[in-house]
Amino acid sequence: MFGQGLIKGLSITLKNMFGPKITEEYPEQRPNLPPAFKGSFDLKVPKCIACGLCANACPNKVIKIESEKDENNKKKLTGYTMKTERCLYCGFCVETCPTKALLWNHNFELAKYFRDDVNLDLFSSYVPSPEDEKPAKPEETD
Amino acid sequence: MLKTQELTLNMGPVHPSTHGVYRCVLNLDGEYIQNAVNHIGYLHRGLEKLAESRTYTQFIPYTDRLDYCSGLSNELAYVMAVEKLMGIEEEIPERAQYLRVILAELQRLGSHGIFLGSFALDVAGATGYFYIFRERDRVLELITRVGGNRLTPNFMRIGGVRNDLGEDFFTELKDLMDSFEPAFEEYNGLLTGNEIFQSRTKGISVVSKEMAMDYGFNGPNLRSVGVDYDLRRDEPYLVYDRMQFDVPVTHNGDLFDRFVIRLKEMEQSVRIIKQAMKEIPEGPVMAKVPKVIKPPVGEAFHRIENAKGHLGFHLVSDGSTKPYRNKIYAPTFVMLSAFPEMAKGTHIMDAVLILASIDIVLGEVDR
Repeated sequence: MFGQGLIKGLSITLKNMFGPKITEEYPEQRPNLPPAFKGSFDLKVPKCIACGLCANACPNKVIKIESEKDENNKKKLTGYTMKTERCLYCGFCVETCPTKALLWNHNFELAKYFRDDVNLDLFSSYVPSPEDEKPAKPEETD
Repeated sequence: MLKTQELTLNMGPVHPSTHGVYRCVLNLDGEYIQNAVNHIGYLHRGLEKLAESRTYTQFIPYTDRLDYCSGLSNELAYVMAVEKLMGIEEEIPERAQYLRVILAELQRLGSHGIFLGSFALDVAGATGYFYIFRERDRVLELITRVGGNRLTPNFMRIGGVRNDLGEDFFTELKDLMDSFEPAFEEYNGLLTGNEIFQSRTKGISVVSKEMAMDYGFNGPNLRSVGVDYDLRRDEPYLVYDRMQFDVPVTHNGDLFDRFVIRLKEMEQSVRIIKQAMKEIPEGPVMAKVPKVIKPPVGEAFHRIENAKGHLGFHLVSDGSTKPYRNKIYAPTFVMLSAFPEMAKGTHIMDAVLILASIDIVLGEVDR
């Protein structure tokens, strides 16, 4: 009978009308993000050894590191900028970081009014926390 | 006095029904298409050239931007091509191979989901669109869990995958796979069985077997005309030869068949994922690969059965850390060339559907 399919379709929509709601009312309701989510970047400055592996791993030359040598001839970070407007958010930099100084955070609302505000200066925007002061130990790789 | 003349109409480049930035110049006689001319290149980013200035690993995130509806499959095709070039395809751990199969099929579900949803929208059936996107969004949430991004996960690595996936991923995946079965019934009830949908799609833009072969169709579009050819079965890679699945084939080659075949393929993908979840062994997920990848001088080509068709990468190595040449064989670029012939003589509102039925993604067409 012609129209049977239409009635079936209508019955499906009617059934779903009384079912549970599946939409998420952002921004009132915040999304539940998984731990692997790639939002923006955090840099734990005391942990960074200015090795430059992140800058080398980057496909687009987004990261710029400035460092100087202290009295013990040890490299010390003096600047860390990310030209995020060119960032692919691939995560090679976070993956390669030997001291886990560079991390993802869950901040995904990255829209800004001005173009320059998009770029990150992770060195000067760093807020010190006692957690980060623990000595940096490079992780052993197998 | 009544005077009629041919009308030239620009469809696109920015129009929702062109599925991207694609322009088509239509010559119309009334509402019937006399001639159609493709204009592509609006999304050309020069990815093949970019590959020449990136190391082999650094190009992986760029492959996500080819066909942005199936990022993981693109990565898979690329890393497998590099592995072939390095001669390490035998050393990939089993668990990594199973994970790759699971993720590639999951991505196929997502990609076919966007096809079915947008196809429903193009026949002005917005209801079907939302029902299909409900499951697709859950697929994307799982991919976010894997790779951190919805569309550009960057999870495949040369020699394996980035990291192992925990138990919580598999429970979520199982839950999703179980919810797909009632969902397929809903899709069939809403779209496939709908008389209006059928009368809009059946018998329109029939592609013959010969025409499909001439234009180099591949993937679901080729199988919709009755050619039984699937790389997963006929040129098995990874662990597809251990999986039990059917290759759906339809014989009419019209719009309806191109829709139905993808729905059937989704059912098979669910079947493959369920098997792979059962059989997946424990173990490492990464082969021993040097940190700096320097393949020997030579060339390699590898193609996989992507959601859209055969996606292939042809890599030429000069022994350095960067490829000398990276040629991308993009399935939808090939199939888009058939659009003028498929659209000739059809109604203008069907042209939108025909374009949608090829399942073009302009990121891949223009590269």
